[in-house]
Order: sequence, then C-alpha cells, then structure tokens
Amino acid sequence: MNYEHCIRCTICVENCPVFRVNPAFPGPKQSGPDAERFRSGHEKSVDEWVMLCSQCKRCDMACPCGVDPAQMILRAQQRYGMEHPHTAAHLLFANNYYLSTLGSITAPLANKIASTKIGRRIFQRMGIATYIPFPRFSFKTLRWEKKARSRSARKVAFFHGCFINFYRPDIGRKIIRMLQSFSVDVVLPPQWCCGLPALGNGNLDLARSFARRNVASLSNYVDAGYDIVYTCTSCGLCLLHDYQGVMDIPEAKKIAENSYDLHEYVLKLIDEKVIQPEFKEIRKKLAYHIPCHLRALRIGYPAANLMRLIPGLECRILDDACCGLNGSYGFKKINEATAVQLGNRAVSLIKKTGAEAIVADCGSCRMQLGGLSGMTAYDPVEILCESLEIKVNKSRN
Amino acid sequence: VSVTEYDVIVIGAGVAGLTAGAKLSSEGLKVALVTMGEPTACLSTGCIDVCSCDENPLRGIEGLPAGHPFHFVTPEIIRQALSDFQEFMVDPALPYTGTPDKNRRVLSAIGTFKTTCLTPSTMKASAQHEDEKVHIITFAGLKDFYPSYITSRLRNASFSTYDAGSTTTMGIAANFEDEAFLEGFILWLEQLCMTEDKIAFPAVLGMESAAEVVRKIEYRLERPVFEIPTIPPSMPGRRLFNALKDRFRRNGGVIYWGWPVIGVEKAGRQIEAVMAESQGRPISLNAGAFILATGSFVGGGLHARRDKIIEKVFDLPVYVPGRWEEWYEQDYFSQNHGIGKAGILVDSSFRPVDCPWENVFICGSVVACLDALKNGCGHGFALASAYAAASSCREYLR
Repeated sequence: MNYEHCIRCTICVENCPVFRVNPAFPGPKQSGPDAERFRSGHEKSVDEWVMLCSQCKRCDMACPCGVDPAQMILRAQQRYGMEHPHTAAHLLFANNYYLSTLGSITAPLANKIASTKIGRRIFQRMGIATYIPFPRFSFKTLRWEKKARSRSARKVAFFHGCFINFYRPDIGRKIIRMLQSFSVDVVLPPQWCCGLPALGNGNLDLARSFARRNVASLSNYVDAGYDIVYTCTSCGLCLLHDYQGVMDIPEAKKIAENSYDLHEYVLKLIDEKVIQPEFKEIRKKLAYHIPCHLRALRIGYPAANLMRLIPGLECRILDDACCGLNGSYGFKKINEATAVQLGNRAVSLIKKTGAEAIVADCGSCRMQLGGLSGMTAYDPVEILCESLEIKVNKSRN
Repeated sequence: VSVTEYDVIVIGAGVAGLTAGAKLSSEGLKVALVTMGEPTACLSTGCIDVCSCDENPLRGIEGLPAGHPFHFVTPEIIRQALSDFQEFMVDPALPYTGTPDKNRRVLSAIGTFKTTCLTPSTMKASAQHEDEKVHIITFAGLKDFYPSYITSRLRNASFSTYDAGSTTTMGIAANFEDEAFLEGFILWLEQLCMTEDKIAFPAVLGMESAAEVVRKIEYRLERPVFEIPTIPPSMPGRRLFNALKDRFRRNGGVIYWGWPVIGVEKAGRQIEAVMAESQGRPISLNAGAFILATGSFVGGGLHARRDKIIEKVFDLPVYVPGRWEEWYEQDYFSQNHGIGKAGILVDSSFRPVDCPWENVFICGSVVACLDALKNGCGHGFALASAYAAASSCREYLR
C-alpha cells in the first residue's frame, strides 16, 4: 500500500466533488490514506461514510505523489458491503444488467411504468432518486445487430457495455458503421455487464462473477487476433484497471493490453496511416464535458483530438466538474442532493461557455447533464458520424 | 500527419509548465502537456512573488547572489512575462494588481505581512500596516483559520463569525457560487454595523466568480474588502491554476492527466519520445523538443534518496551545494538550508548543464540555486523562466 507516500498536501481534497457539497463525507485524504492506517483485518468495518464516495477517481488523478485514495476507498467499500446487509437500491443497481435485460424485453411496458407517477413513487419508496427521468429501454438492443464480415486485416471485438446496448443501441450501430467504413471487421463477442455497477454498490462477488465471464469470452477473441474496443469510459476503466486490481483476476492482463477506447483506436488507425478520414465541416459550438473515468484512463482525451480535425467545429473542453451522477450513485436517494448540486454546477459551467450542445463520452454524464440543462447531449461518435456522413436508421423501441 | 506527434511536450502542469506551453502554442506550435498530478500552485497563495529581498523586485533580482538562475533572464523578459500574465488574467475575471517595480504586502493568516509582487484583485485592498482598522469575518468551524492570531498583532482589528453550513474552504467557496447564499450573507454583514475601514475574509469567497463576489460585498458595504490567504486547500491557488490551464487549452494545447513519465526514447543527441504507464500498455508521445517543468520536491520533479537526490524524468545530474553533513544550522528560520538550492543547473538558454541531449529545456522550481522560499521568487521565476525556456525552444525548432 502506498498510503505512506501521502504528504497531506490536500490537493486530492480540492478535487473531490462529493467533499465539496456533502459535509458527511470526510474527503479522500481522510477516507483514503489517513483511515487506511486504522483498517485492520480483524475488526468489522464501521465507517458507513465510505459508501458516500462516488469513485470518480479525481483524487487519484490529482495526487502529485502517486497515492491513489480512490483505490483504498474502493477496497474499503467492498469490505463494508461484504460485512453489512445491502439495501434494496444497492441490490437493484448492482444487478442492473439483469434488470435491464428484463426491461428491454418488456420495453414498451417497462418504459410506461417508469414514466408514470406511480412508477416514480415505487422508485422513491425503494430509495431511488427521480430528479431526472430513468433512461428509456430499447426493445431492439444492439445484440440483434446482424454480423457483416469482410476479410480485412483489422478485427475488432466491440465491448458495447449496458448503456449502449439497452438504452442507446442507435449509437452502437453508428460505432459499428463507422468502424466498418474504415474497413475494420466488427463482431460483438458474448459479453455481460462489466461489473462496475456491482462494485459501486459494494458487491464484489457479483462483480467478480461478471468479470470472470467477460475475461473468458474476450480472451478467446484476443487470442484470435482481435483488438477489443470499448466506448463506455467506465466499462473501459473497469476492464483495464479493476479486473486486475480490486477483483484480482490476473488473466485480465491480456484484456487490458489489447483494449482500446474507441477514439483512441481511431487515432491509432490514423497514426498508422491505415485510414485518412475526410471530415466534413460542422458549424457547431460544443461544450465537451470530460467524464471523470475518461480522465482516469490516462489516455488523454482522444475524442477531443479527433473532433479537432473537424473543420468549423468549436469544442470547449471542460474537465473541472464531475456531473455528479456517477452511474447508479446519484440514483440512490441518499446521494440525490449531492448529485443534483454537482450536476447544477457542471451545467452552469457549460452554460457559461455559450455552447449550443453538450458532448460527453459517458452515457450517464449525458443523462445527467442533458436532464438538468435541457440541452442536447451527444456522444462524440455522433458528431464524428455527422462529419463523416455516416447514417443509421434511428429506430428506437 | 500524425495526430499524436507534437512539436513540443511540456512535462509538468505548474505555473512554469502551463505558461511555457501556452506561449509556444500561441505561436502556432503543436504542444502537449503531460503531468503526473496537479501542481503545487494549487497549494499556493495565488500571489506572484518575483523577488521579496528588496522593495523593488527587479532591483532585488540584481542583488541576488551570483549563480542565481534569475540572472539568466533579462529584465525585459521578466516585464514581458508579468505584463502578459496580468493582461490575460483579466479575461477569466481574475485580474492581478501590481508592477515589477514595487512589491506589495499581503496580510497573512497569522497577522504577519507577506511581501509579494502581483496579487489577485481579491487581495488588492489587503491591510498594509499594523494600525489599520480591519474587521475580520470568519466562518463557524472553519479549519486552520484563527482570527485571534491576527487580532493579537493588529491592535485595531476585531472579528465576527458567520455560520456558512460548511467547515472547509472548499465547501464555503462552493456556497459563495450560489447567489442566494451570497445575498443572505451580505444581509448578515449589513446588520453587523461595522465601524472599521476594511473587511477581511479568509480566501473562500467563491471559485470562478471570486472577484465578482468581492466587488458585490464592497459595493453593498461601501468599504474595501480583501481576502487573507489560507493554508491548503487554497482557493486563490486553485483559481490561478484553473485560469492558466484554461489559457493553455484555448491556445490549442492538449493535456494528459495522470501521466507520470516512466521512460524516454532517445536517439543520438535527441530525446524522441516520453513514455507513460497507461492502464493497459505503455503509451508514448513523440515530439521535437521537451520542456521539463516538474517542480522540486513537493511537486515531484526531484526525489531525495538516502544516497543522493535524483531528477525523476530524464535522470539529469542534480546539483547540491556542498556535503549534506554541512547543511545543519541552529537557526531554523534562516532558510539557508542547502536543500533550497538543489536542482538542475542551467545555462543561459535554459538547457540543463552537462545534458547529453540538445532538445531538452527546463524552467520553474526544478532549476538549481533558486532558493525560492528565501528569496521570495517562486511564481515570478516560474513565469519568467517559462518565457526564456520557451523562446530557446522555439529558436531550436526553427
């Protein structure tokens, strides 16, 4: 453990979005390196407040001394989860994958129920916040996508993640079309939830069971010469970091070495002179909200580098504010106030730029910022596809 | 043209690194900045110290001991760096007051006076001597801010306490971004019926709109208002960092966070790329020139081992004055400790001395013989040396 490298400079505290608005959370310095000294294996964990950390990883990114408070807190959260009963909301969100599978099969009905007053009341009773609407399930998920194969040298196994699959398969289709237009073969390997929602709700065993299945499935594709491409930055962080880290699955190293963020992959294709995409002009002024987990991937902001190639596009990068939703974090009643306050701050920073729309890689950031601001929130791939004139039929439900 | 190949890569996101990066990108070069974490600028008071040894900072620099790296920067470049800095800080609504010909004083949290050159507008009205009549407002439970320290030194000062619903500088600053909170606060101030000439606050009056908050309070209370820098988390330091970061980006610069350099690729007299450990595989970034601005010990540029001090990125030779055993001294506050001079020796083009590579330039507090604390020249040297290093770097690339 590297908590001894902490020099108590408090830069992590300055970066903690939860600490900024919720006095009940003592901040990353105290909950991470400071508390770590007192966490023994013999005593039951009693620090309820560890669950207030949203795992945005901003503290890890800010530390000038290489300490990672968020990792320490994540481990403490898993232990707390193991030693204490789970609430209904925690259980539901940990199992979001199964819930969403059910939701998309019964999409028309499920969406109707979720949008009614009674539905919202049931949510609230279960400890689920309803300040922004729950995302709408898509009946025709991405899993239905037909396989189209050419015989090109580049082969991609696309890890689409739950958000794209269940809520926005149209974005998934755009990604597939775009990669195909670069003469890249795309397949959808058998895959499950990455496990991050389970981790976030203190359910390490469930997270590990998802992870093991994903590792087994994706390993086959890596062995067969496929590159893994993910689009959800949180799924990516989980695949690359948490599988080998907190979940302790050494075989995941192979996955990490061969996985790319979608935009990182496209940049790689351009750099290796495999493709020379012609970007058409787009006259838009966008605010690019950087998802916390994109920062934490430590790959820079590849989508920003790509969007810079689009003539006429004005794109302001905003990476100071967390949107506050953090996947299922903000949907829990106990975190609602934190999520709303942080979200409103992020929105006010966006509005100050005078942008006409928001762009963000992360589905939950888009949900939060779009919901609170009333502005359109795009995935960067939507902007790229517009510029590359790639279209898909937008059929939802 | 490769998308991830740059003209210049700056290592370090402090005042020096961001300024050098912004300068080069404003001149049309493609610049990336890589950094391990956030800089110590966030821990600073936000004031720009140029040289606090003399009433006149520029004259103070002339009087610095031979071998001080400030002697490699001409007064013209220092003036240029400071006036450019003051000019662009107007736009993010964080204007700086002062001139390089005269130092100012800023009241500290223990009631002493700090000598500095440029101050953020929120400290413009700071008390200048011990007789000033100041009313200090503190916040209930605010950690590490004790107005009694100040009132024990300023005999005409008194204080009142406001409950802001938060006990941290960060939390209170966030509250001040909310207009309703500010309005309630001003109403509370008005009913205090203060008789003093000035009102002082710990530096928590907002984040992005701090200057505006100060203006509003001044307007309503009809007297000067100023902030007193706090110990970290320091809001004025963070405001400065955010503004510099924003300027670098607006000029077209790209930042890679959480990117500790773990290796370099070299060929002959040149560094070709720096590498970092990403989550999955090492990634590298290519460039024609590199600017090292990693700071000293706290910033992470220098690392003290038991046997010697090392520079962490290029493993450049580190200068230390004399033998370690000779560094001990009875007077704790003499600031003569040898560690203050440790760093990388530079030549007049801000290239490291005895460096095997010709495309490495260096600026900020990683430079040797700076004694930033003793000479009061931290941010000022960072700005000036960034300009000097950037101009040598541009010259080299031409």
